[in-house]
Amino acid sequence: MAENPAIKKGTVTPISSLFPAEEAHKASKRVQDTIAERQEQLDQLKGFMNENTNLINLVHKLPDELHHDIMVPFGKAAFFPGRLIHTNEFMVLLGVDHYVERTSKQTIDILKRRGKGLENQLESLKAVMQDLKAEASFFDAKASEAVDGLVEIREDYVEESPSEVLPLTNNTKDAIEDEEYTHILSRIAELEQQEEEAEKANEFNKDEQIENDLGCSTSQSFTGQEVRSSKVEAANLQSLSKDGSSRGKGPALNDSSLNNKALELAEVKEKVQAPVLATADHKVSRPSSIPGSDSSKAFTGSIVEHAHDIGINSTEQQTGARSSKPVSRFKMQRK
Amino acid sequence: MGSTAALKELQRDLENKANDLSKLQKDIAKNHQVRKKYTIQLGENELALKELDLLNEDANVYKLIGPVLVKQDLAEANANVRKRIEYISAELKRLDATLQDLEEKQNSKKEAIFKVQQRIQSLQAGKGKA
Repeated sequence: MAENPAIKKGTVTPISSLFPAEEAHKASKRVQDTIAERQEQLDQLKGFMNENTNLINLVHKLPDELHHDIMVPFGKAAFFPGRLIHTNEFMVLLGVDHYVERTSKQTIDILKRRGKGLENQLESLKAVMQDLKAEASFFDAKASEAVDGLVEIREDYVEESPSEVLPLTNNTKDAIEDEEYTHILSRIAELEQQEEEAEKANEFNKDEQIENDLGCSTSQSFTGQEVRSSKVEAANLQSLSKDGSSRGKGPALNDSSLNNKALELAEVKEKVQAPVLATADHKVSRPSSIPGSDSSKAFTGSIVEHAHDIGINSTEQQTGARSSKPVSRFKMQRK
Repeated sequence: MGSTAALKELQRDLENKANDLSKLQKDIAKNHQVRKKYTIQLGENELALKELDLLNEDANVYKLIGPVLVKQDLAEANANVRKRIEYISAELKRLDATLQDLEEKQNSKKEAIFKVQQRIQSLQAGKGKA
């Protein structure tokens, strides 16, 4: 992949510098050795399990006869014919020099339990082997890559301002950090707007709502703030002064800084990103009945405007109210 | 010259410390081995205890003492195995403590060696400049 430093900053690191071929080979070898060890252990365990199964079969068969004729080992190199009697009595070793007399069936039970223990060990060993093998293959891959002279390229991910989404975006970066985020915010704002509209008749309620919104908006929904503010403005200028800054922002946004933005605050919800939120907070601290206090600060972020009235599609609104005139806004509100 | 003498001393010091460090490392390795043995024994004992618990009261338990299988009481055998287990666990704990101790000593030794090496380097650099 070709890196284009002009557009994106990136770093090129030859893989050989990260994982020098030799070292990768050595590491791979080390892992292989460990794998070999584990493999031996695995084989040993498997041998044990086989023995166990054979023993179980034998113990099972023995009591079939009262006595067996066998060749008894005698010393190192001799046998003599003999008899195996008491074919149902077994002396089983329980581990620490302790033996117990058991019947064939009981012995088989004991052996089976041992077999289960062995199986568990086997499983864990296999898991370890898997990990080791993965490690080994990783190292091999790295070694081959380093040899081939492959290069690792890292590029910073810089989100480009989605101008197509926002009609007016002064601040590209800040503005369009999270489109999804803005979407969610717009949803929230829409819902809030719906609520507000429901209580539009009641100023007091609205004020309360606005305050509530303020509360939550400070955390997240700038849009709510904006929406409320704009709404409140339309309804009650006094309330504007009450809530001060946030509300003020609405008109302020419209009037002052928004000139260049052509922020169609009018009927659309504005999504103010963090920077804007900061300004909102700032404004809250300085309640002013007259909006437009911080025009400069008002929009440091981009503003995504969504349909002010819930029932209206944001797109509609957007297309409809391009002019950031308070008049249109009020009009829309009234509607 | 005073500096060469000091240098020699430092180097001797370094050697001593290096020897100590290798001794420590051997001790740590031994500790590990003994620990492994004990852990295996502990596992065996626990297995035996489990089987013993599954036995009936009238089962005959024998203990291997040298070449002789001696009949033992089930309760006795249980008690024996339990005591063994306790003993081994105590040993393991002790070994753990020793291991910790050894490791700490090893670390401090390593630091001391490093410091001595640094001093040697600075001395040599000084000598070279002078």
